[in-house]
Formats: sequence, C-alpha cells, structure tokens
Amino acid sequence: MSNGVIITPGLAADALRQEAAGGFQTTRAERADDVARGEKRAVRVRALVAIGCMALGFLSVGIQLMRLAANGGADLRVSMSAPIATSFSRPEIVDRNGRLMAGDLVMQSLFADPSVVLDRDEVAEKLSTVLPGVDQEKIRKNLSDKAKRFVWVRRGLSTWQAQQIHELGLPALSFRKELRRAYPLGRTAGHILGSVDVDNKGLSGLELYLDERQNVDRVHGASLSARPAVRLSLDVAVQYGLEEELSEAMKRYSAKAALGLVMDVHTGEIVAAASLPGIDPHNVSQRADEARIDRLMNGTFELGSVFKMFTTAMALEGGKVHTGTEIDVSQPLRFGRYQIKDHHFSGRFLSVEDVFLKSSNVGSGILALGEGAERQRQFLEQLGLTSALETEAGFVAQPRLPERWGELETVTVAYGHGLAVAPMQFAAAAATLVNGGYRIKPTFLRKSEGKPPKRARVISPETSGAIRRLMRENVASGRGTGSRADVPGLEVGGKTGTAEIPGADGYEEKAVIASFVGAFPMQEPRYLTLVSLFEPKGVKETRGAITAGWNAAPTTARVIARVAPLLGYRVGGREE
Amino acid sequence: MRILLTLAVIATLGSAFTLYAVNYETRAIAEDVKRKVRAIEKAQHDISILKAERAHLARPERIAKYARELGLVPAKRGQFAGYSEPDPLKPQSMK
Repeated sequence: MSNGVIITPGLAADALRQEAAGGFQTTRAERADDVARGEKRAVRVRALVAIGCMALGFLSVGIQLMRLAANGGADLRVSMSAPIATSFSRPEIVDRNGRLMAGDLVMQSLFADPSVVLDRDEVAEKLSTVLPGVDQEKIRKNLSDKAKRFVWVRRGLSTWQAQQIHELGLPALSFRKELRRAYPLGRTAGHILGSVDVDNKGLSGLELYLDERQNVDRVHGASLSARPAVRLSLDVAVQYGLEEELSEAMKRYSAKAALGLVMDVHTGEIVAAASLPGIDPHNVSQRADEARIDRLMNGTFELGSVFKMFTTAMALEGGKVHTGTEIDVSQPLRFGRYQIKDHHFSGRFLSVEDVFLKSSNVGSGILALGEGAERQRQFLEQLGLTSALETEAGFVAQPRLPERWGELETVTVAYGHGLAVAPMQFAAAAATLVNGGYRIKPTFLRKSEGKPPKRARVISPETSGAIRRLMRENVASGRGTGSRADVPGLEVGGKTGTAEIPGADGYEEKAVIASFVGAFPMQEPRYLTLVSLFEPKGVKETRGAITAGWNAAPTTARVIARVAPLLGYRVGGREE
Repeated sequence: MRILLTLAVIATLGSAFTLYAVNYETRAIAEDVKRKVRAIEKAQHDISILKAERAHLARPERIAKYARELGLVPAKRGQFAGYSEPDPLKPQSMK
C-alpha cells in the first residue's frame, strides 16, 4: 500500500476503514489522534493560565481599590509640618457665671524662607512700614542664612496686619495659622490666670495647672481645643469690684501695694483675689518685676495682730479661760533684753474679750504662755499654718517659722510676729475659725453645688461661735479697733492687724502692713474677706494714723458694701 | 456563547461607567466634606474671636466707665427695701 508521506483525508479514512483489521496503519491513526488531543489540552491549559492571570490582575486592582476606599490615603499628610511647629491648644477659662476669662484665638504668624529671599534690605524695610517696632537688623541677620528654610519673623498677627503684609508681595514670606492665648479682661485676675509662652504652653498660675493636669493638647497648626471650659470659682464682677476698691485705697492712703481676698468659708472657693500692682497676662515680662509679685500667694509676711484670732481661739479651746476671764496686763513681759508691752491703753486688768477688742500684745502673750509653745505650734499646725499649701494657681509660698520656738517666740507669734505666712494661707486658717471649726482648702475652681465636701473638724463649734461674737463685737460695739469696717445691715465682723515690716536694722515703725480680716454676715458667716495695705502713709483722712483700723478697716467696708449685693446680700438700712 | 459575550461586554462597559461615575461622585463628596470642615473651622475661629471680643467689650473696667457716665453707681444701702418698707426710690411727692 502506501508508505504515505502525505496523509490525506482519504488516507485517514482509509486507515479508519482498516482499523478493525489491525496492523501498523491503525497504530498511526491512533497516534494522530493522540497528537490532536494533546494539542487541544495544551490550548485549554494556555487559556486557563491566561484567564487566571487576568483574574489575578483584576483581583489585585480590586483589592487595591477597596483598600484605598477604606483608608482614603489619609496617612500621607502630617510629615511636612511636624518639625516646624507644635503648639498647644488650651481649653477656655471662664468665671463662675461662665464669663470668658481666657481663650485661644487663631492668628497669623509670619515666617520667611531665607533661601528664596532676593533682597534682604527690601524685606526688612517693607516689613517695617507695616509692623511698627520691628527690629530691621534682626530680620536682616535672620534672613542671611541661606541654608535655612524656615525663620519666624513675627508671631500672632491680626488678620488685617497679615493682609497688609500679604499685599507687600514679598515672595519669601508666608503665613501659618497659630493659636494665641487671649485674656479679654486685661489685668483683671492677672496673677491668678498666669501666662503662656509663645507656643501657648502654660508658664505660671492656672495656665500652668492646666498643663500639669494634661488639660491641653499638642497640635500642629491651629485647631481649637474641644475640651470643655474650665470653670473657676472667681466672679468677674466681684473681682473687678475688689480690684477697683483696692486700687482706690492704694491712692487714698498712698500705699505701695495692696491685696485683697473674698473667699467662701465653707467650700474654700475663692470668689475674688487680687494683689496690686497687678500684672497683665499678655505681658510675660511683668512677672519678673519685684514690685508686681503676687503678695497674696508668693510673699510671706508677718501679719501682726490679726494672728490674735488664733491665740484667742487656742486659749478658749484649751478651756483654761473663757471670754470673761480677767488678765493682768499691767506688767510688760520681759525676755532677756526684749520687753513686750502695750502702750495704747491704760488699766490693770483686761478680760479675754478686751484683749481681743483692744488688741493687747501683753494679754495675747499671756494667753499663749498659758497654753505653752508646743500646744501653740500644734494648734497652728492643725489650722494648716505651718505646712506647705498648694492651690490650682500654684504653690503658696512656704511659711517661715521661728528657728527656735521658746517662750519669747510663743509670745511674738501670739501677736503675729516671728512667723511669716502667705496671706492666702492665713485666710484659709482664719476661715476655719468662723465656719464652725472645719479645715478648708482654698480653691480657684468652682465646686459643684449641693454636696458639702468632707471636712475635718479642727476647733469646736463653741470656740468658733465665740470668735464670731468677738469679731462682730470688735466692729459693732464701738469698743474695738474695727468699727470703721461696719456696713449697716450686713453684720460685718473682723480683726485688725498693723505689723511693722522688718527692715535692715530691726522693725521699722513707719513702714507697716495694715490688714483687716473680716467676715459677713457674722450670725452665719458665708464669706471671709482679707484686705492688706502695704506701707500706707498717714493722711488727712486718717488723721495721720497708719494703723489698720484707719485704713484697712474702712477699705474692707467699701469692698463688702460693693460686693455683697453681687453675692446676693442686701445692704440693709435706709440711708440717713 | 455570543449572547454571553455581548452581555459580558455590556456589563464591562456598564460597570466601568458606573465605577467612574461613583469615583467622580466620591471625589465631589470628599471635596464637599473638606469644604464643610473648613467652613466649620472658620466658624469656630470666628466664634472664638467674637467671644473674646465680646468679653473684652463687656469687661467691667469698660462698662463701669459708661455706667458712671450714665449716673449709675454700685448698689448701696438706701437702694434696698423690704416688702413692708416704703419704696426708697419713689419720689416723696407721689406718696
């Protein structure tokens, strides 16, 4: 047959026909069939691989799409701004009635890129036309370093200033939005609020407290704090009334400085606190001024006779005497070369009540000696006068205690010398005497109403009642030193104190701190006031006197008459 | 088979079209969200400035000056009266 080289369809059919007969043709046909089948399989595999690849490709595209849809590529931004500037966003500070005392503002800050500055002199000169007081020399110097890409020119510009600079058309200058702290009340409560630095970070006062309590957030650029406002115990109206009355008193009595405080005796909430001359929180440099220190918190002073409140309370609490007990005050107390005497009244015997009302140094000394040095130290410790005190506006200056606490020191401490405390700490202790005997902690934050805080009792309600009566007598009876502090209808009570300021050689008689610690209404005291005038002069109005009864007491009357209506008290009595 | 292919082509074209439509819509929405966030920020900044300005204008130091010019003074005795007392502010002639 054929040893066919060419397989034709005829031949193939022939082969099929001869299939049944078997033989080598049959085998050839099978082989051809196999080849065809193999080719078919290969095509299918190839197709499958191609389809698989396409599917994988589409799948990966799909997954990528989903991934992008899910996180939106948000993590691509931050890195640029990170090294340039971080600042702090701070919550607002409001007073007890929600009036704004401090808040963040978004302002424009100007920076330059020295590498693209064409003409340094042009930049400096043009800027000085818009920004008065700008240091041209400094700008030239800052812009000279071409290696730098970022130099601050001026931070915290108002929108219109920024607009003016923008209109100068200088290519190297750009703006960043930044947060700036604003204190809309200016100087009012400046000491308490404290201040912040150029990055809006707290430096002092309540601002520093906010930082320490992690109440501020690190931010890039300018995003305002979402935190709720910090509500203070202060009342802006009372604060202003107090500051104004104090500043008038400083003028009236030619005093160098003055301080004042209005405090809730039950909760320790400070409604108003001022130390004049005050500071403007915007002006950080004022903080370094010695004359402007916060005398209420950061200064310690020997406050003088106002301390007799503690001595009398200690003696009454001790139980050896009562208010009617007579004491022989005719002999001065002698300790070595020191001699302590009273010179402003005559008479041999004074009752404990009169020792308080007439403010007898000898009488107070005798009362203190009757209790002893150890008991005195312990009593003052219970009142919190010997240990460090901290408020939200910072640490109160540490009390300065006598180095040795012998009999002489017992007597001097009894009338408020030899132991120096910050007036804030003194006021907190005095509040204990009038609030029924509970220790309180001064606070600048608003306490929630209703729930009375858990308080430790320090003195008995009877002693507290006796002190209240004495304080009221001191103002109302006409026998005491505080009669000029009276405000009709308000039952003001209090104690005067005129302390000589220790100078280079001993105490100076003409330089005094005149203080009046008061409370009202005396039947059930709610508020304690403290007014201290530093180095008041004898003026016509005081008939030349520089004692507290003549200046601090009437100032207290003015303060109370001014603020009591704001605190919900009716100033009683018809005007004659 | 041909029908299937036609359907697939139509589906592809359709889905491509939808995808682009959704894409553009998403971009528009994202842009809108950005705009609104910016508007909110701007409003918040404005509010903070207005609040500060308001507090600054309403500071007691400034108000007191104007109040005094209008003849107002801090509340004092003689301006308070109980229910049983005659009104201290009522002129005498009207009694």
